[in-house]
Amino acid sequence: MSHESTDTWGGDRQGSVRQGSDGQSGDTLVTLEGITKSFGAVQSLRGVDLRLGPGEVLGLVGDNGAGKSTLMKVLSGAIRHDAGSITVGGKQVRFHSPADARAEHIGIVYQDLALCDTLDVASNLFLGREPRTGPFVDRAEMHRRAAEMLSTLHVRVRSTYQEIGELSGGQRQAVAIARAVSFQPKVLILDEPTAALAVAEVRQVLRMIREVAEQGVGVILITHRLQDLFEVCDRITVMYEGRSVDDAAIADLDIETLVAMITRSNTTTEEAA
Amino acid sequence: MTTQVASPRQQRDLAAQPSLWERVNKATVAMLGVTVALFIGFGVASPNFLTFGNMSNLATQVAITLIVAIAMTFVITTGQIDLSVGSTVAFVAAMTAELLQLGLDSSLVIVVGLLAGLFWGSVNGWLSAYQNIPPFIVTLAAMSIIRGFALLWTEGFSVPIDRRLFVAKIGEAEFLGFSALAWIALGTAVIGGILLSRMRFGRYVNGIGAQEESVRRAGVNTRRIKMITLMLTGLAAGAAGILTAARLGSGSANSAEGFELTVIAAVVLGGTNLFGGRGTIVGTVIGALITGMIANGLTLMGVSPFLTPIVTGLVLIAAIWINLRGRSLAQLVSHLTKRPT
Repeated sequence: MSHESTDTWGGDRQGSVRQGSDGQSGDTLVTLEGITKSFGAVQSLRGVDLRLGPGEVLGLVGDNGAGKSTLMKVLSGAIRHDAGSITVGGKQVRFHSPADARAEHIGIVYQDLALCDTLDVASNLFLGREPRTGPFVDRAEMHRRAAEMLSTLHVRVRSTYQEIGELSGGQRQAVAIARAVSFQPKVLILDEPTAALAVAEVRQVLRMIREVAEQGVGVILITHRLQDLFEVCDRITVMYEGRSVDDAAIADLDIETLVAMITRSNTTTEEAA
Repeated sequence: MTTQVASPRQQRDLAAQPSLWERVNKATVAMLGVTVALFIGFGVASPNFLTFGNMSNLATQVAITLIVAIAMTFVITTGQIDLSVGSTVAFVAAMTAELLQLGLDSSLVIVVGLLAGLFWGSVNGWLSAYQNIPPFIVTLAAMSIIRGFALLWTEGFSVPIDRRLFVAKIGEAEFLGFSALAWIALGTAVIGGILLSRMRFGRYVNGIGAQEESVRRAGVNTRRIKMITLMLTGLAAGAAGILTAARLGSGSANSAEGFELTVIAAVVLGGTNLFGGRGTIVGTVIGALITGMIANGLTLMGVSPFLTPIVTGLVLIAAIWINLRGRSLAQLVSHLTKRPT
């Protein structure tokens, strides 16, 4: 794997850089190699390889306990891995905290979204970095910028003054993604963004994921909804019992082969046949 | 699927501030109605109620409660509680009188009194925010300990303050027909209002009450903010202690018994959510006015003054009942006594 192409970090994030199925074009945002992680006697990750390019939507699938969430916590700096290497933009990194990962422009939206129900949409988007004039929060500016952010991503809320608690599940998810995108990540990790959403809301969130990717952001999507993978992903990586076992372009797959890859049922027999 | 970006006009609509009616806390509006009703009711029942003299008197009576209630609004909005404020008032009142008797200068005594309040608030804040003991438990214990120190120091006696001293004069000073106490309370309310709704600190106080983990993940030191809110009630109780001593012309370890209940009733009546996440300073002012007005009105109607604590207790129950908004009392108890994370 070559990492000479440092120019991918030069700031040109225009245009949709839909990656081909081979993924060998050299434009790699993140490479994980041989990642392992143990919690006491339990070996949660036993050697995971993963690769993500700019503008690519990568589906990370696997059964419960396969290690998807653990792997994403490693990549977002929430936990430290034991062995293996993380390469971001051609340079080897080691994350000691979520702040380290954020400094490398890796963003994550957890399932619980990290929003505050009683604060309005704009306050949530700017939580912890509210624009100020002197010692006071500049609310007009905050709401203006929030409206701009939401319009760019086509997030539909009635007003930036709406409280998060009043929004639907899909709208909350959209606000959480918009917040993550506003940190201008190069890699965005989404943990089950469509779980428990109504059908129309799922479509809106998936469209948003596509739009974020079109800005050149590499997106890693963890999901149990296999139909979502076929709708937005370019490529999938399959995990099984702490290992990455398969990596395939979505175009080469159908839902049955994907299910077989996840459950590891009769893949060997199929291949042999 | 359209990919057009919304026009600047649509963006402006999105960021347009909703009407005043949509923005206000509905519970506060309801209580404003109750205030008006009480005004009219007492005004009819007692001809002396709606006089300027009595209004000025009411403002003075409400002032000390209000000063502490403003700070308590921050504590309750973060989802915490402070039961020790009454004891801190008594401690600082007794301390003020004792130090003045020792011959210390008034200005020095005021500074020491405020610092003593701040100190007790810091102890509460550190134990609950950094040692993860529920603030309900910490401040319940502090309530007993702080008053205990005051009793030990004064041996239960009321300590007189020389009327010629500056501290005593604060208790009698008037400006534009209203007492100095009322003006100090008004100033506290204005500062509290700005802090809660116009500054980052206030955003985080509300956010912590709603989902502390979300605020923490946004990079805010939530423990520090929770500790600061308890320091604010300590400081406010310190100020209230000095003013109590100034007004009564003496300091007693037995003053301000049950004061925490009046303060909490005022905050909760105003519409601040006992579960946290939603605080209102305007509401607290209204809540303090209601509790003060009930006491004042009943006295004017010639009812026994010993009825006041009973009515205050009933008002507190009613306020909490309204404030639960569909949740059970058991949930409130478990919320207040749970270990902070």
